[in-house]
Amino acid sequence: MKNRLLPGIICYVITSLFSVAAQAERLNVVASFSIIGDFAQQVGGEHIDLKVLVGPGSDAHVYEPRPADAMALAGADVVLTNGLSFEGFLSRLIAASGTDAPIIALTEGAHVLDDPAGGHYHMNGDEAVFHAAAQDPHAWQSVANAQVYVENIAEAFCAADAGGCEEYRANAARYNDELAALDQHIRDAVADLPPERRSVVVAHNAFRYFEDAYGITFLSPQGVSTEAEASAADVAGLIREIRQHDAGAIFAESISDTRLLDRIAAETDLEIAGTLYSDALSAEDGPAPGYLAMMRHNADSILSALAPR
Amino acid sequence: MFRKFATSTAIAMILAPVAFAHEGHDHDDDLTHYRVFVGDHDKPLVTAFDLTEPEHRWSFDLAGQAKLFAVAGGAVVAAVQSDDDHVHFISSGIELHDHGDHTDLEVSDPAMLGAPLTGPRPFHLVDHGGKVVINYDKGGYAGIIEASALAGGTIGEANFPQSYPHHGFVAPLGPVWLGTVAADGEGARLGLQQFQADGSAVGDLAPCTGIHGEAFSGAFLAAGCEEGVLTATIAGGAPVFEMLPYPEDFPQDVTTGTLLGSTAIQVFLGNHGADGLVVIDPVDQPHFRRIELPFRRIDFALDPVRPAHGYVLTEDGTLHRIDLLNAEIAASESVTEPYSMDGHWNDPRPRIAMAGDEIVVSDPRAGLVRRISTEDLSEIGTIEVEGQPYNLTVVGGSGLSH
Ligand SMILES: [Zn+2]
Ligand SMILES: [Zn+2]
Repeated sequence: MKNRLLPGIICYVITSLFSVAAQAERLNVVASFSIIGDFAQQVGGEHIDLKVLVGPGSDAHVYEPRPADAMALAGADVVLTNGLSFEGFLSRLIAASGTDAPIIALTEGAHVLDDPAGGHYHMNGDEAVFHAAAQDPHAWQSVANAQVYVENIAEAFCAADAGGCEEYRANAARYNDELAALDQHIRDAVADLPPERRSVVVAHNAFRYFEDAYGITFLSPQGVSTEAEASAADVAGLIREIRQHDAGAIFAESISDTRLLDRIAAETDLEIAGTLYSDALSAEDGPAPGYLAMMRHNADSILSALAPR
Repeated sequence: MFRKFATSTAIAMILAPVAFAHEGHDHDDDLTHYRVFVGDHDKPLVTAFDLTEPEHRWSFDLAGQAKLFAVAGGAVVAAVQSDDDHVHFISSGIELHDHGDHTDLEVSDPAMLGAPLTGPRPFHLVDHGGKVVINYDKGGYAGIIEASALAGGTIGEANFPQSYPHHGFVAPLGPVWLGTVAADGEGARLGLQQFQADGSAVGDLAPCTGIHGEAFSGAFLAAGCEEGVLTATIAGGAPVFEMLPYPEDFPQDVTTGTLLGSTAIQVFLGNHGADGLVVIDPVDQPHFRRIELPFRRIDFALDPVRPAHGYVLTEDGTLHRIDLLNAEIAASESVTEPYSMDGHWNDPRPRIAMAGDEIVVSDPRAGLVRRISTEDLSEIGTIEVEGQPYNLTVVGGSGLSH
């Protein structure tokens, strides 16, 4: 009886050993937020087990790290971050995890813009949260920078897993070709706009890189105080700017509150023309489940709102 | 990365005694300074001393035995004297100013601030969201103090009325106020409710039988109840309550009544009965992970420098390091003689507090404060303190002195 069972058991043990080995070979990658998670998946493919800390639709600025996140960092081979103080929770989480994994700031080598205002505001429910940063962290909003992120990810994966390097590089090259096509698509579309119709209004200025790369001007209430509501003077200043620039549309943002924008829309002749995705992807069934889709959605929304009628 | 930080802190601590803040250096000094405040068990007295230079020592007279709280970012120590209806405030003399890229540290002598507050049985103190809130258990109200004004030396108290006097708490959570609610008569505690700043109730009571032991971590407030742990967080400007029931496979008829919240990750450490601790995750499952202790617990603390660690002292005199991520005891060392938990809750027994890379342990019977290394739980040294050193709190940290 025993003997007859044995081969079966051995077989089972061997298979489970193999599947354990196969899993152990996969690189444990932690990505700080959804956009970087998408890049990591594009480059890592089947070779990585990916954990994204701040998921689709969530705001990294106000994220509170959880024990499971610390556990993920503790077991990570590579930790991918944006850097430029984007992930305010990161140093606490690293301390909690005691991780030895390399912490890669993907903006390393990117074209980084200083932030003249020393930071930007996010509306989070009732609170305006100031995100202080000497340099603007939203570098992924220029596709050329996204390509730098992707290169950096390939390098980080190669350093952690030399065996998969060739594939990481190939995946990165393929994806960067898609990014190049996207970049061209946006440039061509903007070129078709009359030069005087290239301004829009957003709630939180996460689009300075987009502005810098593609020549669309983004107006946003800069003087939002830490109180719940922007002051009348702030709003008046913005309305003056909107008229000066002859802004063509107002956009809501996936992670921001729209009340301030509703006020601005009411005091100008502009309508809220749609929702842009700045700091997070949408859910799988939304318009921005991946970076390519997100940038296309943002560009197409802006361009169709500005297109001459 | 974290280990590098720990090492540099240790180095800074060795340098701290020579790099004193007020000696007029013409360059920036990187220094670490911890100051310990110890309340006596029997005498109405607080002794303060610098951890690495205990001959720098001060004492402050109170009205009675005090529980000590470092409040307003450590600028002030509150001495809550429940049996004697007083709350004294002592400016700690340690000021840390966060400038983003670095922290400034200024050191001066501690000093008693103004006149103490008085009221019927001040007990739980909450320091959160820029407010210091003291519950007056026999007064039927709480006193709300602006932390920034307190740090500046001004003690102003606003009155927050409650329906019935009880052993409870009032706390700000984001834009709202939450407060415990008790029944008329014996003051049986029923749960938690939202209030306006004038004490008028908003919305429904969140039931939490016998509610006790409030703490904050991340976006949550948590408190212990007979039926589980109640959590509260803010969504759309209003509180959202959730009762996390104790798991069925936990020892029954014991509860959580004391909670600590991590300032690094969103997690709580609470007691569960006399000889258990629970790691509580307010979001992810499992919400509770229990750690069985070999003896009954005397006191426990969380490590702000190594946020995955907590420490608990048990009645056999052993200090245990708790690994919060794996919910287990990671190391244990004997640090004091045994102190049985039989007898009254307020009998003189040790208390523990964190001071950077050290755990300070009051040892009332020995008349000592013991300095224990977080690295290996070994004793770094002892500091003699007159009388019976009991409740204690520590202020300080690392920063630059310009
Ligand atoms: Zn942002
Ligand atoms: Zn109590």
